[in-house]
Amino acid sequence: MELLLQTLINGVLAAGIYALVASGLALAVGVVGIVNFAHGEFTMLGAFIAYLLFVGSGLDPLVSLGLAALVLFLVGSLTYYGLIRPVLGAPELNQMLLTFGLSVALQNLALLLFGANTRVVSPPYQGSTIHLLGLSFGVVPFASFVLSVVLLGGLYWFLGRTRLGLAVRAVAQNRLAPGLLGIEKERIYLLAFGLSAALAGVAGVMLSVILYASPTVGFAYTLKAFAIIVMAGLGNLGGVVPAAVALALAEALVSTYLPGGGGWVEAVFFLVIFATLTWRSWRAA
Amino acid sequence: MIAAAILLLALLLPSLPLGEWRAFLLDTAQFAFLTSALALAWDLLARSGQLSLAHGAFFGLGAYAAALSAPALGTLPALLAGGLVAALASFLLGLATLRLHGMYFAIATLAFSEVMRTLVLKAQFTGGSIGLPVQPAFSGAFPLGSYYLAVAVLALSAGVSLLLSRGRWHYAMAATRQGEAVARVLGVPVVRVKLLTFGLSAFLGGLVGGVYAMKTLFLSPYDAFGLGRAVEALVVPIFGGLYTTSGPLLGGLIIVGLETWLRLRIGEGYLVIYGLVLILAILFLPRGLVGLFRKGVGRA
Repeated sequence: MELLLQTLINGVLAAGIYALVASGLALAVGVVGIVNFAHGEFTMLGAFIAYLLFVGSGLDPLVSLGLAALVLFLVGSLTYYGLIRPVLGAPELNQMLLTFGLSVALQNLALLLFGANTRVVSPPYQGSTIHLLGLSFGVVPFASFVLSVVLLGGLYWFLGRTRLGLAVRAVAQNRLAPGLLGIEKERIYLLAFGLSAALAGVAGVMLSVILYASPTVGFAYTLKAFAIIVMAGLGNLGGVVPAAVALALAEALVSTYLPGGGGWVEAVFFLVIFATLTWRSWRAA
Repeated sequence: MIAAAILLLALLLPSLPLGEWRAFLLDTAQFAFLTSALALAWDLLARSGQLSLAHGAFFGLGAYAAALSAPALGTLPALLAGGLVAALASFLLGLATLRLHGMYFAIATLAFSEVMRTLVLKAQFTGGSIGLPVQPAFSGAFPLGSYYLAVAVLALSAGVSLLLSRGRWHYAMAATRQGEAVARVLGVPVVRVKLLTFGLSAFLGGLVGGVYAMKTLFLSPYDAFGLGRAVEALVVPIFGGLYTTSGPLLGGLIIVGLETWLRLRIGEGYLVIYGLVLILAILFLPRGLVGLFRKGVGRA
């Protein structure tokens, strides 16, 4: 019973980061209409920013969180201007290949610069745990969960309550009408893509403490984020959180209860993608 | 023209006076042929409008199936078995994903290839993460055996690709790619076209994998099922020229040449070239290298 409870809690705590990364991807897919295979690489960049700041100037990851968000927002905007905007009108195949190329390039560039080693950001509180009602969990996962909830709350507030956020949603729903209302589509795209990258970057900073920074750390998150937004319905931001929780719980359960579960965790999100996609396609048929 | 020239060169290469670079050149050429063949297989599928990220998996399935069955069956039947296993896998995958379009199909194939790698890593008879030693082609009777096998696979892929760039089947694939609904209305059996193209493409991919296994004599899940394979398979045709035969042939030679040079110079991270080539080709060379020489010809 206690094991089950602990597993469930671990799952929920992991869901925070998943939801952050996946919300970013959902923004890119839903608003800009771009399937960004390089999304996880933005996460990887965030993780490396946190690592470099920590090693270089002893900056606490909590501080680098804001910096990483800013830098990644810029990176996202530049990516949009330089790479995405030219192919907005191109066939979907070209768009996917372009972001896939960006992903491969960023991954291997990081490999060239930093090598394949994993690097952990280890602030003094990294190992501390909280004990509550006979259960224990790490301070870091707990804090990152709380932060994720706060950030996601902020994102939903932005999208639901501010004029700019409503404009973003309007563009997601219809490509033509917002223009008639005086909303500049291109700027919304820019904002959405920048935000998308910033969310991924913030998640990366958290990963650098919980897991590690490495050139390939992001790619798994691209795939997990795909699994989540596919479950939620592509571009449907509202479904991201429950889908992230579902995926994280499934992974936690598999890793605890399946014999030799560690390796199979890697297969969970693919099975989720697979099952959802095929189920959807057959239901639609 | 280009295709014939490259194949002729491939056949003659071992008998040319290459001096001390001979072994290295032949090795590199052989990997380039295999890459080109895999790229041709990928391009076939792309002609029907499906972006596959699973060609690494077909390659790996073919490699493992050929390696495991070679001691019992002999070289050529084992290669065939590898191709068939890959084709069977693609058939099952195709049945499940037939109704998926565009990005959904790409994501599903990516998922498939990662699951396959996990399975091979976990299974016992594949050697798991330790890897699997492979018998050389024809039990090592001919030193150049695997080289000529690579040439043969390349010729086969190029032949199939040429054959399918004209005639009814070509138009059926192009119509399926450009507008599935319209193709259906025109009487194109879209489902059959997609499934058969997928199967054929995977079969060729599996063959390539088998020859690769008999060349490297050792397989590991990370190598054979790596995403790098899928990346190679799609970057080469895009760089060389999509939906053509000479494009992937030419692209394969150039890119593998670049890759080998880069690998010697910087080691890990040489895949960066694939990313950059992919980005640049999409942005500035949408019709590929071959497109530079063919002005005004439509892509259909």
